[in-house]
Amino acid sequence: MAELTYNEKRLMVVLNTVKEATPEVIAGELNTTAEAVVQFAHLCAEKGIATLDRTITVSYSLTTEGQQYAALGLPERQVYASFRHEISMKDMQAHPLARIAIGWMKKKGWVTIEKGQVIKTGEAPEGTDEAALRDPAASREGVLELVKRGLAEETETISYMVSITETGKALVEAGLDLREETGTLTREQILSGDWKSLNLRRYSVDKLPRRIIPGKIHPYQRLINEMRSVLLEMGFTEMYGGVVQSSFWNFDALFQPQDHPAREMQDTFFLDGTTPLPKNWEAVRDVHEFGGATSSAGWGGTWDPAKAQTNVLRTHTTGLSIQYLKDHPADPVKAFCIGRVYRREAIDPTHTPEFEQLEGIVMDDGVSFRHLMGFLKEFYGRMGFENVRFRPAYFPYTEPSVEPEVYVDGLGWVELGGAGIFREEVTDPWGVKYPVLAWGLGVSRVAMLKMGLRDLRQLYRSDVDWIRDTPMMQGGRD
Amino acid sequence: MPIIRLPYEYLETLTGTDRETIINRVPMIGADIERIEEDHIDVEFFPDRPDLFSTEGVARAMQGFLGLKEGINEYPVTPSGITFRVDPGLAEIRPFLGSAVIRNVSLTEEAIESLMGLQEALHWAVGRGRGKVAIGVHDLDTVTPPFYYQAAPRDRAFVPLDFDEEMTMEEILDRHPKGVDYAHLVRDYERFPLITDAEDNVLSFPPIINGERTKVTTATKNILLDCTGTDMKAVMTAVNNICTALADAGATIESVEVDGAPMPSLTPSVRTVSVDECCRLLGISLTAEEMAAHLRTMRFGAEPEGEEEVRVTVPCYRADIMHDWDIFEDVAISYGFENFDAALPESFTTGKPHPVMVLLDGVREILAGLGFLEMMPFTLTNERVLYTAMQRDVNPGVLRLQRPISEEQTIMRTDILPMLVETLQINHHRELPQRLFAIGDCVEEKETFQKVAAVSIHTEADFSEIYACADALMREMHIAYEVDESDDPAFIPGRRADIMVNGKKAGVFGELTPDAIRAFELDAPVCAMEFDLRCVQGRPCL
Repeated sequence: MAELTYNEKRLMVVLNTVKEATPEVIAGELNTTAEAVVQFAHLCAEKGIATLDRTITVSYSLTTEGQQYAALGLPERQVYASFRHEISMKDMQAHPLARIAIGWMKKKGWVTIEKGQVIKTGEAPEGTDEAALRDPAASREGVLELVKRGLAEETETISYMVSITETGKALVEAGLDLREETGTLTREQILSGDWKSLNLRRYSVDKLPRRIIPGKIHPYQRLINEMRSVLLEMGFTEMYGGVVQSSFWNFDALFQPQDHPAREMQDTFFLDGTTPLPKNWEAVRDVHEFGGATSSAGWGGTWDPAKAQTNVLRTHTTGLSIQYLKDHPADPVKAFCIGRVYRREAIDPTHTPEFEQLEGIVMDDGVSFRHLMGFLKEFYGRMGFENVRFRPAYFPYTEPSVEPEVYVDGLGWVELGGAGIFREEVTDPWGVKYPVLAWGLGVSRVAMLKMGLRDLRQLYRSDVDWIRDTPMMQGGRD
Repeated sequence: MPIIRLPYEYLETLTGTDRETIINRVPMIGADIERIEEDHIDVEFFPDRPDLFSTEGVARAMQGFLGLKEGINEYPVTPSGITFRVDPGLAEIRPFLGSAVIRNVSLTEEAIESLMGLQEALHWAVGRGRGKVAIGVHDLDTVTPPFYYQAAPRDRAFVPLDFDEEMTMEEILDRHPKGVDYAHLVRDYERFPLITDAEDNVLSFPPIINGERTKVTTATKNILLDCTGTDMKAVMTAVNNICTALADAGATIESVEVDGAPMPSLTPSVRTVSVDECCRLLGISLTAEEMAAHLRTMRFGAEPEGEEEVRVTVPCYRADIMHDWDIFEDVAISYGFENFDAALPESFTTGKPHPVMVLLDGVREILAGLGFLEMMPFTLTNERVLYTAMQRDVNPGVLRLQRPISEEQTIMRTDILPMLVETLQINHHRELPQRLFAIGDCVEEKETFQKVAAVSIHTEADFSEIYACADALMREMHIAYEVDESDDPAFIPGRRADIMVNGKKAGVFGELTPDAIRAFELDAPVCAMEFDLRCVQGRPCL
């Protein structure tokens, strides 16, 4: 049985003495109101330790008008008494109650009306209504008549009788803790230690609490931060850079030929304005035209500096990598970046014109293609993709190139990015000493896999309820 | 990327092996199988390998990869005695011409289809949509050499392919489907490129359409090839790939003299590469002989030159080989990517987050602690959201896209707050209160910088609430600030304030004006703030 409150216990103690009583009586004992006693008794009744019987009593009383007539008689009796055997209608109407009375006198058969004369029939016995007027309890028929005439009114009285059950008796006889209950603890009670002797109100654990909505970091940002942590743990330095880049850094420095389709309007967001070429741009021109100082033949043709100066919204963050290498040509470098990139794509469930890209570069004495595979396996493994395989690929600025694929239950082998070793045509103009391992990963694609999303747009045009309902951590709760 | 249709029967004939072996192994030479059909497979190849754009080319590569045939194929070329003249008037239009005579072809319907497929893929990958290179294949026996590639008047008429009436070249641009598709390549020139024979018969109007007269059919025995374009190297890549594909199918190649220069040569080029450099790049250990053997399976000619070097003969069709590492990649493919021992290097480095990211992470923590939910809206938006609906004037420094893809995304955001109010609009039907924040890059002129914004919408959202949040943010960021009355029209007069740092406006907060609230189709009070993180002292620079 659920715990009894203090008030319920007090009620039971009184009941055990009186066995049965009205709330009013019990209220006197408990020094509370009858309403409160009914409430406590109701709770005790739910627990089967008391019963609460409800009786509805109907009583009648005279209205103000009825009380006037109780003293003077009903209007028809007063008018009837005001003349002898016969009176003209005209004379009778002088009486103030005539309008009400005429109808009733006729209906009760006290008078007849002939040729404008009201004539008594001789019989005018007292009716049940008149008896009820003297005493509403005297005649039910009469009182209902008075209610119809608005001379009496009906009142419903609900009365309760509270009694103790056998279970209740046993409970009380087993003894009850009658100390008063405490809701909120006071400073004094805590400091003095008095709280130990208090009867603290107990709360029901069956009742759900109200829902609090916490402030939270976006689930996608948390995934990005998880990836950042993985790379930082692996000893990578983070890069950050501007969203607006010159075509030189976005394309030319990455040995993308100037007539490459990706450089055309349909794939890239071009911007107004230009950016001057950096120092040593001639070396980039040379690798394009004839391979510069490398074993490359270059793309041939003429490289146009004006084309390299046009501004674009970066189509990848790889332009930041090459700028980072330019500034650190000789040291071992392990660097990464997760940043937003822009492609001229129409929005649909799997394409957005902006999305995040993750990339990493490793430059060190003696690093090789084998190590690139090692880094990819390690990184994907730490991201939770244990099974990784590699396939030949083609990317314009890496050689050799590789397409890592991860195994995802239910989907099979999924391509998550591209990788390779930066071509010498990319690194040589900046005096970079060692091979540069590089990889890029579509972060939003990983997000779709990890969060089970079907529509990429959800990441950027967020439904507030989705974020509210997405737990911070993926614990053991389904 | 080009998708090549490989008919099994033809492929089996050329390769000498069965279809299952081919289907199983084709992905490991760098290709994706698009679909497997009853009588053929469609395979997607990388754009740098035009030699794989024909059934013949794939068969050649597979023979090596499957160990059926090794080393380089020989492609002898004998002179045809046919000459070609190029009009100097084409110098500014479409100057380069590559040509060849291909004899003794036996063209089945399938072989013609394969040839057309190769042509189409070359047009895409090498020709860049016919601008850089366009290819014409003609029945040589319908015309009379010598040939003339000229800049002709636009009203010169001939019967174009698949038509039966003469049209002028101008009419072709307007009425012929290919003319309509490629008109943009020649429309602006006064004269158009045209190829004619000794009797002034028209072979081709490059890069638009061939003449009906020289149409290649199953009866064709001898072919004249013309490739025109704006880049000689790309033109010859196309010529070499078509000649070698047809030679592999049994044809013989003869050269043509273009202004006195014989072409094609189809002779391989030679590169001597370092065994050590290859092994270091790939992280494997091979002898010169092993390396040469791998290259022969990739259909190079390869012989060790001592222990340190390998002499590699590169087939004329391998347009992708421009650097020694391109050869090393083929060694890796032959070695098998699955056979590499993936490992981490031993050198030690420490990781370090970028200071901008550290700052952003800190601000995120503060706002989440204040009970705000993070949003990550797009950075591309439009003037209505960014300025008009916010009751603000357009920032003159806003960056516009030259050719936006939709009316929704025309400019780069200079502020974040409008994106959050738009997010409230998207979430109009969700339970209140909603308290949201966003942080990240904004751009003005060319500069990228970071801002943070927060909004709160509910029946009692007011100035005091957002002032308290702004104050908490500034305290937690440890920034001394003052407030001034603001005149920002996004907010209600008397219920708005500027955040001043070092006497300079750094942010704003207040109650959003009902005009803005209504413009975003909202109906409850909104209080909001925005802060420019450039005003953080000692702000990390990009």
